[in-house]
Amino acid sequence: MADASEKKPILQFAPFQSVVDEGFWHRLSSLKLNKLGIDDSPVPISGFYAPCSHAQVSNHLTLLSESLPTEASEQAACTSSVSLGNRNKCSVPGTIYNTNTLEGYHALDKQSLLKAEAKKIWDDIHSGKALEDSAALSRFLIISFADLKKWNFYYWFAFPALVLEPAATLVGIKPASQWLSPEEAEYLSAACREWRNSNLTADVPFFLVSIASDSSATIRHLKDWEACKGNGHKLLFGFYDPCHLPHNPGWPLRNYLTLIFIKWNIRRIHFLCYRENRGFADMGLSLVGEALISVPEVWKDLNSVPNAVGWEYNMGKKGSKCVNLAKAMDPTKLAIAAADLNLKLMRWRALPSLDLNVLSATKCLLLGAGTLGCQVARMLMAWGVRKITLVDSGKVAMSNPLRQSLYTLNDCLNGGEFKAISAVKNLKLIFPAVEVEGVVMAIPMPGHPVPSEQEESVLNDCRRLHDLINSHDVVFLLTDTRESRWLPTLFSAASSKITITAALGFDSFLVMRHGAGPFSTSNNLKTQTLSGPPESMDTASLSDNNCLQRLGCYFCNDVVAPIDSTANRTLDQQCTVTRPGLAPIASALAVELLVGILHHPLGIYAEGEHANAKISANYEQPLGILPHQIRGSLPQFSQITLVGHSSRSCTACSETVVSEYQDRGMEFVLQAINHPTYLEDLTGLTDLMKSASSFDVDWDKDDDDDDFVEM
Amino acid sequence: MSNISGDGTLTPGEFRVAAFAFAVRWKSSVSAFPPWSWLSPPKHPWLSNEVDGYLALENVCLLDSSEENHAGRCTGLEDPNCSGDDEPIDDATLVQSCRDDFRYYDFHVIYDSSYRVPVLYFRAYSGDGRTLLLSEFEGDLPADSSEALVKSKWTFITQETFYHGLQEHPYLNRPWYKLHPCGTSECMKLLFQSDTSIRATSGAAELYLLSWFSVVGRMVGLSIPYQMMKCENDT
Repeated sequence: MADASEKKPILQFAPFQSVVDEGFWHRLSSLKLNKLGIDDSPVPISGFYAPCSHAQVSNHLTLLSESLPTEASEQAACTSSVSLGNRNKCSVPGTIYNTNTLEGYHALDKQSLLKAEAKKIWDDIHSGKALEDSAALSRFLIISFADLKKWNFYYWFAFPALVLEPAATLVGIKPASQWLSPEEAEYLSAACREWRNSNLTADVPFFLVSIASDSSATIRHLKDWEACKGNGHKLLFGFYDPCHLPHNPGWPLRNYLTLIFIKWNIRRIHFLCYRENRGFADMGLSLVGEALISVPEVWKDLNSVPNAVGWEYNMGKKGSKCVNLAKAMDPTKLAIAAADLNLKLMRWRALPSLDLNVLSATKCLLLGAGTLGCQVARMLMAWGVRKITLVDSGKVAMSNPLRQSLYTLNDCLNGGEFKAISAVKNLKLIFPAVEVEGVVMAIPMPGHPVPSEQEESVLNDCRRLHDLINSHDVVFLLTDTRESRWLPTLFSAASSKITITAALGFDSFLVMRHGAGPFSTSNNLKTQTLSGPPESMDTASLSDNNCLQRLGCYFCNDVVAPIDSTANRTLDQQCTVTRPGLAPIASALAVELLVGILHHPLGIYAEGEHANAKISANYEQPLGILPHQIRGSLPQFSQITLVGHSSRSCTACSETVVSEYQDRGMEFVLQAINHPTYLEDLTGLTDLMKSASSFDVDWDKDDDDDDFVEM
Repeated sequence: MSNISGDGTLTPGEFRVAAFAFAVRWKSSVSAFPPWSWLSPPKHPWLSNEVDGYLALENVCLLDSSEENHAGRCTGLEDPNCSGDDEPIDDATLVQSCRDDFRYYDFHVIYDSSYRVPVLYFRAYSGDGRTLLLSEFEGDLPADSSEALVKSKWTFITQETFYHGLQEHPYLNRPWYKLHPCGTSECMKLLFQSDTSIRATSGAAELYLLSWFSVVGRMVGLSIPYQMMKCENDT
């Protein structure tokens, strides 16, 4: 016997392969966070496998979310799903050792863990428990470390196998279709189908096959061994084989052989590696083999557990695995994907020409982080704008959170955080992928004279503002006074940046875009200063005579230069009280206006369009018309669009002022700040007013005082 | 047995009927893929219980042919600090230089109670269980799914939707890809309008899923064999 077996090759088993579904890591993460905490004691789990069903691919032992015990809250709902016999999910008991640190993971004594698990199998075999619950023969363990900050999961499976010493030898192995007669194969297929289709047996992976002399086949549970033995039938020890290889059985056979030898003292074992194709027994893929077992000396002693092997191979050698699931689990990445989805859905049908890349690349500078600034920032993010800078010098006051949608009471505590800082923090909470910066800075204002000792710092602020405007693509003017809009308007005009103003009265608002600066170069635009009455302006802008006029800025319609507007005001006028609905409406319109500009082929040079006018151009904009100004009134619940062209006498964007600034730079700025009448003198407004030919475009009566605003 | 309404939608009951009929027909005429199964997830009290499950076709396996992908994945996977040299060598273990570069696909057909149409959810994952991004597996998808359909009426339910990224699976609460349902009822209406006799037939609901899948299945490389359509005509 010993001589004969020496010539035979050793029976080699193809190791089990593991695959861990993301759902498992999800559940483990939440279990760890919500329930286990730092408790790292082993947790019983279930793995699932099925017979091989693919000629080139072995089946895996799979961990799914339901492999883990449920958290208490879901307990009732989920228990039924696993217990039902699922033919493609044979449950296998396992244990997970999840460590708290990577060091702890590496320090685990893997041999002892494997041995402990092997002892359970050994005990189950001897106690007969493995006959009742045969899946226990394939018991496994997994060690893991879940790095929940980086979403890295380190893990290593072991499928403990009791080692036969000497190893079992292989007498022969071949496809079941060759080993069996055609009739036997047919009967066996039918019997297997019945076994696999019954809820009671479908997930029982080890079974006995007896084939009678008339070729009929019967499948029985292991515990029914007594019924099979000694009746002269051919006896095959069948198991669900996850392996696809044509000459090797899969791993579950190892402990099965041990069981067969120990319980029934059989040394010449015929086994059936049961494999499937499309849900049916595949007798060409299934194997029948014959193995010989010699008596291992040590096994006589029940208390000495045999050696065990089984740590999983990774890429052909033993090693731990690591998988990074940031893409599927990192909330930031999921938020980005979800945000993009909403915008892409808009593109899909309603706005096929929506250019999300332009939006996400546009750098927006928000001057003011109050009611308007908060709301504009939110709207910009909703449209997919990802680069935002907020400028504000104020702190969050107790009264702010109700109207200023980026702040909460926490931001007001201890004297209040700077708005520019709080807004950045809270925008990131809303959408972590936003690239947002906050700048704590006051905007220098004309008519607010500066003492000489502060001159240098004011000039620094001017330069800083200048640099900020130049480094952004779009400027939003969202401050609470008219005069604070002057300097940024000037800088924007000088560098022709897209500029949008939103200003609030008590119950009315103005939202407008500034025209390009006086020295901007565009083939589509012939700069022409204004010289006619309002009627002719509109005709000019609508006629296609290629003599388009620059659109005006916030100051173009004024006949007074910006001065200190807060000096002579009562409290209710200073902390301008506005109807709460006004700021969100105006902010939303401001952002919609920007999206329109960014999608207009002429961009900043696009002429102003009227709501009720036929658009003369050939193109039809999917976003609708692109107005110059929108004025709304809450008492009337009305809104109108207006066009106003640039004024030669404008204190902020006229050729005179911009060229003066370009020639004299900060010296000019300082003069404007310190001398209230300087700008009016420079632009001729003084003369204009003297000649009493007022310069009322559109909606003159509102222009003087109504645009003062709370931030 | 029911004939379906003319607006291209299904009731939950019709969906269930259609799903079972589809699965049966698939099993008898599609040999290249495993059969669909009906999964009944545990009920959540706050979910509508109109439909008690969904169709699933899981672990559809494809061999990864791109070497580039293969190489890129190896490096990230191993944990160099943790190798197992302390286990004795075992002659009975078959050491394979195994190719683990397979991709697996899961497909779920789930009823959407807002749009009242079936929705195809799918995901691809590698041998290590990692869900793949579209960019990693789009090479597996039929080249014509984007090419040939660009000019057709289906463009908006197909090409665009592919870029819609991962969406939350309604039962598993994990990100899956899906073909967005907002064009589905319109398409189905068109399909059924072209042949009014079908709609009136008893058993039109059974046909619904077959027709629907013949369109969306192509997008993800699951073509319905002619055989499957043909035997419908024979009945």
